[in-house]
Amino acid sequence: MGDIKPVYLEEKLKEVEESGRLDYRSKTLPTWCPGCGYFSIVEAVAASLCELGIPNENAVVVSGIGCSSRFPFFVNTYGMHTLHGRALPVATGVKTANEALTVVAVGGDGDGFAIGGGHVPHAARRNVDMTYLLFDNGIYGLTKGQTSPTSATGFRTPTSPYENPDRPLNPLLMVLSYGASWVGQAYAGRPDHLKKMITQAMAHRGFSYLHILSPCVTFDKTHRTYQNLGMQVRDLPDDHDPSDRLAAMRYAMDDATPALGLYYREERPTLGDALDGLVEKAGGELPGKPAAKPARKAARR
Amino acid sequence: MATDIQISIVGSAGDGTIAAGEILRNALAGMGYKVISFDVYPPEIRGFGKCIARMRITTEQAYSLKHKSDVLVSLDDSHAIAHANEVRDCGAVIYEQGSIVRLPEGGHMSAHIGPGQLPYPLPIRELSEKSTGANRSRNIVVLGFIAGLFNLPAEGFRKAIGKKFRNKAAAVEASEAAFKAGLDYAAKTFKLDDVSFGPPVATVVAGATVEMINGNAAIVRGALDAGIDTFFGYPITPATSIMERLASEMPKRGGRLLQTEDEISAISAVIGAGFAGARAATSTSGPGLSLMAEMLGMGVIGEVPAVLFVSQRGGPSTGMPTKTEQSDLHMAVYGGHGDAPRIVIAPTNVDGCYRCAGKAFEMAEAYQTPVIVLIDLYLSNRYETVVFPARPPFEADLNRRPGKQAAGAQYKRYALGGDDISPRAVPGEKGGMHVVTGLEHNELGRPNDSAELHAAMSRKRHEKLKLALNHPDFTKFKRFGDEGPVDVGVMSWGSNFGECLEAMLKARAEGIRCAAMKVVMLSPFPTEGVASFMADCREVLVPELNYQGQFANLLQANIARPVTRLDRVPGEPMKVEEILEEIRRLAGNKAAQKAA
Amino acid sequence: MTKTKNVRHHVVIGSGVAGSQAAETLREREPDARVTILTLSSLLFYNRYDLPKVFRGHRDWREFLAFPAEYYKDHRIEVRRCSRVAGVDGSRRTIALEHKEEIRFDTLLVASGGRGYIPEELADFRPLMHPFSSYTEAVTAAGVVPERGHVIMLGGDMIGLDLARTLVDTRHRVTLVAGPQTFWPHEVDEDERPGLIAALEKMGVEVVEAADAGGIASIEQGARGLSARRVLFKDGTELYGDVVMPFFGLSPSVEFMLGSGTDIERGLLVNPALRTTGEGIYAAGDVCQIWSDAEKRYRFFYGWKNVRAMGELAARNITGGDEPWVPVQDEKLRIDGQGKLQSPFWEYE
Ligand SMILES: Cc1cc2nc3c(=O)[nH]c(=O)nc-3n(C[C@H](O)[C@H](O)[C@H](O)COP(=O)(O)OP(=O)(O)OC[C@H]3O[C@@H](n4cnc5c(N)ncnc54)[C@H](O)[C@@H]3O)c2cc1C
Ligand SMILES: Cc1ncc(C[n+]2csc(CCOP(=O)(O)OP(=O)(O)O)c2C)c(N)n1
Ligand code: SF4
Ligand SMILES: [Mg+2]
Repeated sequence: MGDIKPVYLEEKLKEVEESGRLDYRSKTLPTWCPGCGYFSIVEAVAASLCELGIPNENAVVVSGIGCSSRFPFFVNTYGMHTLHGRALPVATGVKTANEALTVVAVGGDGDGFAIGGGHVPHAARRNVDMTYLLFDNGIYGLTKGQTSPTSATGFRTPTSPYENPDRPLNPLLMVLSYGASWVGQAYAGRPDHLKKMITQAMAHRGFSYLHILSPCVTFDKTHRTYQNLGMQVRDLPDDHDPSDRLAAMRYAMDDATPALGLYYREERPTLGDALDGLVEKAGGELPGKPAAKPARKAARR
Repeated sequence: MATDIQISIVGSAGDGTIAAGEILRNALAGMGYKVISFDVYPPEIRGFGKCIARMRITTEQAYSLKHKSDVLVSLDDSHAIAHANEVRDCGAVIYEQGSIVRLPEGGHMSAHIGPGQLPYPLPIRELSEKSTGANRSRNIVVLGFIAGLFNLPAEGFRKAIGKKFRNKAAAVEASEAAFKAGLDYAAKTFKLDDVSFGPPVATVVAGATVEMINGNAAIVRGALDAGIDTFFGYPITPATSIMERLASEMPKRGGRLLQTEDEISAISAVIGAGFAGARAATSTSGPGLSLMAEMLGMGVIGEVPAVLFVSQRGGPSTGMPTKTEQSDLHMAVYGGHGDAPRIVIAPTNVDGCYRCAGKAFEMAEAYQTPVIVLIDLYLSNRYETVVFPARPPFEADLNRRPGKQAAGAQYKRYALGGDDISPRAVPGEKGGMHVVTGLEHNELGRPNDSAELHAAMSRKRHEKLKLALNHPDFTKFKRFGDEGPVDVGVMSWGSNFGECLEAMLKARAEGIRCAAMKVVMLSPFPTEGVASFMADCREVLVPELNYQGQFANLLQANIARPVTRLDRVPGEPMKVEEILEEIRRLAGNKAAQKAA
Repeated sequence: MTKTKNVRHHVVIGSGVAGSQAAETLREREPDARVTILTLSSLLFYNRYDLPKVFRGHRDWREFLAFPAEYYKDHRIEVRRCSRVAGVDGSRRTIALEHKEEIRFDTLLVASGGRGYIPEELADFRPLMHPFSSYTEAVTAAGVVPERGHVIMLGGDMIGLDLARTLVDTRHRVTLVAGPQTFWPHEVDEDERPGLIAALEKMGVEVVEAADAGGIASIEQGARGLSARRVLFKDGTELYGDVVMPFFGLSPSVEFMLGSGTDIERGLLVNPALRTTGEGIYAAGDVCQIWSDAEKRYRFFYGWKNVRAMGELAARNITGGDEPWVPVQDEKLRIDGQGKLQSPFWEYE
């Protein structure tokens, strides 16, 4: 991403230091382009972890491949920077192995809805207890600006030099129908709201999906810019009932003026609960109980 | 007298062929015989496809099935007729005496029994109907007849029947009546064949248990005994039953199993769970392994323990899902991009499946790497009598050494030096925080693509695996037959080794100086031991069930010397005779050379 | 199994000496033809006259086979064992096997021989008697006779008397309950009989004339502690033995030919060329009665040499020949220099 000079970053780090959240930022400086929307996300995640008081070593951030997926290197937790599209299944494995961990999956729109699109429905329907932060810049950032599944029709990129013939996906609508138990939308240009949403998402027990609109300042000068997004986004109306999935879907369908806020939330058993249920059905002992617990499983709740 | 009898039961789906086979081999194993068995199912689930239950019963454990059976039972002539010529001379053919429909000429088994074979027509249907009121128990009638004809204790059969139909009192009752009907009929039958069972040799080791299980079940048993705690998989023939069995067994022990949306997801979750400190595994076949290739490489570079049970079938692509083949060796050993060394072990029999499955977890953790246990459909479905030790022979503890870190120092997950195995911390442990990445990285795990580092890390990833060549209590290769210099050395791997061993032993009995070597550890390759064996062999014969000679390729990539390849892709086990013929030919070369 | 055009299918019913010889001759004379033998037997052809050997300790069926399995492969003779012919349709030229398979033939040779005849009054006691006409029956019978055991032979006949010679030789005790069939199939005059009986006794066979004791009243299972069998005569006398074996001559096996369009008296009636009245159907061996111009009657010709010659002749006539039957065997019963009985049927190869 070129030679990013740390003027901007130093200021940012100083601010973080003062807030006492530095613990959650790693010493590695983000490699993103100056001005990239992702900076505010890493900042918000660190703040949320801090606010929720999650011990660093109990958090695992799992990502795929993309600019966004570099994320784990920039937080001071355990992390996995995996393969393009595979953050969700890897995160599912981590959580299944140790329910005591707080698992956050992060990735881009290409990562989550192109190559990894097959995994989203299943993580959602299973209600894996994790948070999925989808950084939607409508473009393939890391590979230098090609069309993504959320790129607008008519968008021109090096792989669609005339125009993008396809229509974009609506990830929010999809995730609502897949059965995610917590669905929200935020915008990298509204850091305070973003942080609030991330904190709520992480606090939710079950699969929480937060769609984060974020500009790619380097490769998209026409569509998803700070300027355009700033004009398009609005808040979900105060009277929206987050237990009303149909209403949530109706709001999600309006992708011209994306509404920010909590779309949907329900409490239901997680994958871990279900698997524990199977153990009970089979007459086995849950690893929490000393009898069946080898020492090395002590970490599991 | 040593027993060596092979029985084939052929019928169509719905005749109870496979069930009869299961009862028969359990009964025989219970009596103390060693059994090796391989059933064939139709590719179609419904309909009237052909089913074959085939088993070889011996005093000492046999290594393969015989080419010719001693006894053939037909539960459906339309399928069994094609197998009549697989019965040896003076072997018995048991078949339905009458027919309720008119048959065209040649439509009855009696038309196909060769002059050297011995016919046993039996009113199977009638006996079933008379004894149970239905024709459903024809398969059990036949078992009664076999018990009577060969003088086998009925009690052993009754036990096996009870086990098969446990919780189904009506089925047990009908089966006992049908069994007796067959038994009584046998008493009135004049025995012509020379098939006879000698006394079994009991192998009683204190605390050990003897069981008749197939390769997939042995894999499951090994995984359970090694303390597997998470499993992610996607169904695929012939590996499915590994997952199915684990699905019922793991929860009983507090374990977790998840059916994922595809194989990519399965291996991904295994890598995630392995990273989080679990003993995690998946199972699949060739098509799934292809999908897993990328994530397997991630496990290699991230140095994450993972265990993959891979049962091969006919390929490429969807290939022949219900036929056996050994054509995924290249894929298992080399598959995927980049220099991605991994451990690949290939058991040669059911007992080996158990041991390899358990040891795979040890190795995955000890060397921080994915381990592939490579079997095939033949071994997956092959039944053998296995003696399980009283205590599982697997180490429960993993080789994690976070404590080595100096207090306050930055945690070096990929520390270089020493034995190339770095301390591994898992999430939840203080002070061990790191990011596992698929990118080339430095000792801390931070992305870094400098030339020196890439060279050092590549070396580390390769070198540490060599330690596995000395992994304790694990057979990497083994020599059989004549000691010292031999005329012909037969080398093979996986399920096919049984046939090779059998052929070698026969050749020896004919006076040919020969030996055989099985290679269980395919990667890293035990070059030294194998080379010293090959140095003893004037001729090396490498029989395997694939077209390319994949094992021979692997062998020659490690040890430069000419070998004779015997590559076959029949979709079923190789014929011992064919290997033997080749041994004779190679042994004969010497005589020819001497004469010249 | 595939039908090739213009290749005839010669089917032979029976794998005895007649059928086996016929099959070989058919193969020789018509190399391309398909030759099939249908037989009830579970074994390939063996000479029945060898069966007494079971009392000399030969129990393995392999020792009895006249030809090894390869012979049939080499000669391309299909043998369908354990296959009972249930019926023959002469007009459709098909054979129905009992298990419901139908076989087409171009020519048919019936060589189904005969089975041991049991007189009406003894039929009820069948389960207590041990027949001796096949390998399995022979081994079964031998299995129940202890060393130096006592064999009660009913009737006699040349098959039984041949066995008796062996039994005496192997130090068994043999009691013959003699009757009208004692010298079957030899025709014996009233005045010859006492001399022949004396010759039998000289050979070591104990003889009881059934008629002298009023005939057989019953055959019983011996009570515990006694011998296995008891034969009770009408005059109250009794005989104890280990086994009772009936030898009352043979009756031809022809029941499956009823309705086939061939003429049957006791056996299948054939002209001197061994043709039956059915088109393409021939008969040979113990099953057939051959027209004798000299005697102006249909008569049986016994003895394995005759039977073998019949098999060969029938095959020759099936494959284009037209030769009449000429017996090859002398039928005269004699007493040899040592005063022992000698039958021309007892000359073996
Ligand atoms: C114990 C014994 C000892 C003998 N000893 C002598 C001796 O010493 N000297 C001598 O000359 N003769 C002897 N004979 C008689 C001689 O064996 C016969 O004359 C001769 O076997 C007749 O031959 P064959 O081919 O006509 O019939 P067989 O040999 O009786 O053969 C008849 C064949 O027809 C088959 N058959 C019958 N019915 C059917 C059916 N419905 N469907 C299919 N197949 C059928 C039978 O299975 C059998 O294979 C002896 C016979 C016996 C039983
Ligand atoms: C299997 C595979 N295919 C292609 C790539 C190349 N690749 C890396 S990132 C990426 C797209 C990233 O886009 P997105 O997921 O939206 O992330 P962003 O960079 O925009 O944050 C692609 C195509 C890869 N790494 N792996
Ligand atoms: S998403 Fe765009 S702006 Fe952000 S780092 Fe990647 S290329 Fe740069
Ligand atoms: Mg993107």
